[in-house]
Amino acid sequence: MSIAVNGIVKCFGAFTALDRIDLEVKTGELVALLGPSGSGKTTLLRIIAGLEFADAGRVLFDGVDTTSRPVRDRNIGFVFQHYALFKHMTVFENVAFGLRVRPRKTRPTKSEIRDRVERLLALVQLEALRNRYPSQLSGGQRQRIALARALAVEPKVLLLDEPFGALDAKVRAELRAWLRRLHDEIHVTSVFVTHDQEEALEVADRVVVMNQGKIEQVGSPEEVYHRPASPFVYDFLGHVNIFHGRIEDGKVQIDASTEGSPSDKTEANASPRRIYVRPHLLDIDHVPGGNGTFRAKVRDIRAAGPVVRVELVSDWNQVVTVEISHERHLALSLKEGADVFIRPREGKVFHEDYAI
Amino acid sequence: MAFLLKRRTVVPGFGLSLGLTVLYTCLVVLIPLAGLFVKSWALPWAEIGEILSAPRVVASFKLTFLTSLIAASLNLVFGLLVAWVLVRYRFPGKSLLDALVDLPFALPTAVAGITLTTLYARNGWIGQYLEPYGIKAAYSQLGIVIALTFIGLPFVVRTVQPVLEDLDPESEDAAYSLGAGRLQVFTKVVLPLLWPALLTGFALSFARALGEYGSVVFIAGNMPMKTEVVSLLIVTRLEEYDYAGATTIAAAMLLMSFVVLLIVNLLQWWSRRWQAA
Repeated sequence: MSIAVNGIVKCFGAFTALDRIDLEVKTGELVALLGPSGSGKTTLLRIIAGLEFADAGRVLFDGVDTTSRPVRDRNIGFVFQHYALFKHMTVFENVAFGLRVRPRKTRPTKSEIRDRVERLLALVQLEALRNRYPSQLSGGQRQRIALARALAVEPKVLLLDEPFGALDAKVRAELRAWLRRLHDEIHVTSVFVTHDQEEALEVADRVVVMNQGKIEQVGSPEEVYHRPASPFVYDFLGHVNIFHGRIEDGKVQIDASTEGSPSDKTEANASPRRIYVRPHLLDIDHVPGGNGTFRAKVRDIRAAGPVVRVELVSDWNQVVTVEISHERHLALSLKEGADVFIRPREGKVFHEDYAI
Repeated sequence: MAFLLKRRTVVPGFGLSLGLTVLYTCLVVLIPLAGLFVKSWALPWAEIGEILSAPRVVASFKLTFLTSLIAASLNLVFGLLVAWVLVRYRFPGKSLLDALVDLPFALPTAVAGITLTTLYARNGWIGQYLEPYGIKAAYSQLGIVIALTFIGLPFVVRTVQPVLEDLDPESEDAAYSLGAGRLQVFTKVVLPLLWPALLTGFALSFARALGEYGSVVFIAGNMPMKTEVVSLLIVTRLEEYDYAGATTIAAAMLLMSFVVLLIVNLLQWWSRRWQAA
């Protein structure tokens, strides 16, 4: 089933949570709503689900207006961040709930319910836990049960609200990959909310980046990462260094300026002629050379991980983060406190004037 | 026990606090109750049987348990309603209503008894409207139920309220999203989570009603065989200097209450079986 959202507005008192949102989700797609907390992504998801109602605008499922249809009639599956399992029911009863509450006419027989629940438990690989209570499960197991429970009613749309937000990093990565495989198997139209850019880029077919109640950009993971539509998107999808400067003949010129450290994101929207450079698009050398080279002092070196992360301080006291390979690190034999030169790799920076 | 004592815990003073707890419960609860049993067991079994099987005693036991049960059941339903309204809705005068719930705790029971009697008597504010329908509220078994309901209400409200406040609204959202109706969400999702607290409230309200004296004596009319509760019967026996009779009835009452509370506790344990991890 396809979803269309037209001009959705939602205010909580004086706070505008959603400001005229338009969005389309195609049948069978897996879409991520990505944004910082307070960006309105969860509110939008809850409005699509019917758990919340918009002040203005419409929600259409397959072109049919469902704006005022209550949640129980929308045929959606909803997965909550904190699982929201029924803790007084066993795993089996939890998954069977959506089938058992159906009116008698459409309710499957007992054996049909049992078959379907067993099939779903097999799908989430938790058959052995059918008689446990939620309090006896780990977080990852609970979330898989919550997913099985949502799928039991054979929803046309699956909505997930920060489904892995409450799990630890390793379990989260596993479940992420698992959700992607699951979606490839069952192809149900899915929308999930996350504040974790890695999660969105890794799992989704399309990413919707939201900020302050508005959509900043919609696109494939590659598009939003490599061709961000706004400084916000660039900044949000990974670490970024912000410099003052200009681009002349496709070459980066960085002005020695005291303004603009990587942390002041608010200012980034106001002032023009700012250059955004990701840490891996900068290089370190002992000798100056090339355009935009500037001097800096090494402050901290973090060599644990796939790349070496070096923190430096420029002459104008700006903290700059650079990521280099381990080979490069060995070749340079950097020491803390050493004076080096930073060089932006050409042509791969984001300049505000291009986008706005 | 030795294992328990040796285990290191973060909270200090386990030995001291346990010792004080035992001492305190002994002094306040256990020793007086033991004295009661010693006194009544001084009688031969035949005589105990004779005292307890007297028609007047049997009638008062029946009356006390029946009216307490009805009152506690009423409080179970309406206590839940009050707690629900206090937790789930916002309305003017909410904090006032919240404070009013505790009033039966604070009011001297005799005052409550007199007030209720005045209200429900034949010429009272409420009694005068019941009279034409042939309903006699004061000086009847109905009056006893009214008094017991009054004093028992706070127990249910105050035990259910915090549990209701802690209830995760998302599990209700989840139930709705799975296609459940309002009634189904209430009976299948909310109520099962409230049962332990409801049963606690019920047990407290019931236990309080069994032993209630002050408010009941005014409204009951105290007719032997009809509206005489056990606590009153005990006092009557004491006034007749029949100490053996009084303690025997009291001990029997104690045993029965204990059994009832035990049953309620078992039910409660069963209703929260899902919590055992």
